Amino acid sequence: LIFLLSLDVLPRVTCPNHPDSILVEDYRAGDMICSECGLVVGDRVIDVGSEWRTFSNDKATKDPSRVGDTQNPLLSDGDLSTMIGKGTGAASFDEFGNSKYQNRRTMSSSDRAMMNAFKEITNMADRINLPRNIVDRTNNLFKQVYEQKSLKGRSNDAIASACLYIACRQEGVPRTFKGNLIFTLCLEICAVSRISKKEIGRCFKLILKALETSVDLITTGDFMSRFCSNLGLPKQVQMAATHIARKAVELDLVPGRSPISVAAAAIYMASQASAEKRTQKEIGDIAGVADVTIRQSYRLIYPRAPDLFPADFKFDTPVDKLPQL
Amino acid sequence: MDADSDVALDILITNVVCVFRTRCHLNLRKIALEGANVIYKRDVGKVLMKLRKPRITATIWSSGKVICTGATSEEEAKLGARRLARSLQKLGFQVIFTDFKVVNVLAVCNMPFEIRLPEFTKNNRPHASYEPELHPAVCYRIKTLRATLQIFSTGSITVTGPNIKAVASAVEQIYPFVFESRK
Repeated sequence: LIFLLSLDVLPRVTCPNHPDSILVEDYRAGDMICSECGLVVGDRVIDVGSEWRTFSNDKATKDPSRVGDTQNPLLSDGDLSTMIGKGTGAASFDEFGNSKYQNRRTMSSSDRAMMNAFKEITNMADRINLPRNIVDRTNNLFKQVYEQKSLKGRSNDAIASACLYIACRQEGVPRTFKGNLIFTLCLEICAVSRISKKEIGRCFKLILKALETSVDLITTGDFMSRFCSNLGLPKQVQMAATHIARKAVELDLVPGRSPISVAAAAIYMASQASAEKRTQKEIGDIAGVADVTIRQSYRLIYPRAPDLFPADFKFDTPVDKLPQL
Repeated sequence: MDADSDVALDILITNVVCVFRTRCHLNLRKIALEGANVIYKRDVGKVLMKLRKPRITATIWSSGKVICTGATSEEEAKLGARRLARSLQKLGFQVIFTDFKVVNVLAVCNMPFEIRLPEFTKNNRPHASYEPELHPAVCYRIKTLRATLQIFSTGSITVTGPNIKAVASAVEQIYPFVFESRK
């Protein structure tokens, strides 16, 4: 009899004839079947998923699960621990109506900090509506960092925030209905985390060194759709701003300026040229840059304004009437 | 310390940090009261003494360890440290000048061309780290020399290393890479 965890990433058995082939699980019979030759490799596989699906609006007086929560072997060190469940009969309540045996015993104390961090990560990701795959990636990163112990002294929240940021960057720029998902350190992650941008930045660099990974550089186009939609600018203006920013970087009008500042200045220029004007303060609020920074970058791109706009742009305010700061 | 033979690059040393020990316990209160040009930081437990001649600021701890910053060359640092030890001796402490060591050298260098930072980072992936949101320069670490270079897009480079030789060779090492990504 071979017992296998169905959530295993590396299957401990493989088909003897085809060691590379993927094993398909057959839930009805509990088998693992080789996809090449159909040989039944695993027998009586125990499924460690959850027993019932529980919904939040169900009357939760009865918890029908008999075997506890889903196992999470990838993340925790194995969920084996003993807990005291909520009492059912009359004997479990003492005189005052409080339940005897109040404490649910501490679960897996060795990784309690880690589980706490996972909860924090899920909370943070929830606030900015991040998809589950980013959260999973963050959890994996956090686990790696935690096991390495090289950043042990740092606050767990700071490490969690930095992991979240790295996960977002690593996911690239997937197009979802919510738009781009590249995040700026200052704006998004700081908004949902109590840790300062400085501390997150420090942890971010330390984690990259500890895990020996690197991330791609951010570009101006990454944030355009998010900033523009937050400002309520129409698609035309967004496309114009993207074009302006890209052109400005190509022509190297803004050396040494953070891509976000350049993007903000481009949005300012595009919005001022269209019917939907936005002030520097508004853009600065959304982008997380100071309005003086936008002013600086704007001054750099202003001289070449006619070249930066896309060819088919409809000017509400002509180029020579653009504000000069 | 001087320029490369091929390229006439001026490497300006802006700061040399050194440490030495006086091998005797120092009474900080006495130094604070009787010494000239001193600032007593009681909350931290140290005395800052500033010298005029070699422009040096020294942090003196009661254990006898002294950190000397602000010198512009290794010789000057040693001179300043000695002068400092002498002034402590004049205050009455049995000072022995031991364990003098230059800990950190900071130098600035200017390239005659501007540098494209994103391109430079891509070409030098493991050593270079660039985070425009945090700092406008690329941070390039040379493990063998234990030196760190900060490369700005204007072409100026800040180097920190354990001694002057390391700093000079760091600049020599980085020059070809930086030259590739110039404007």
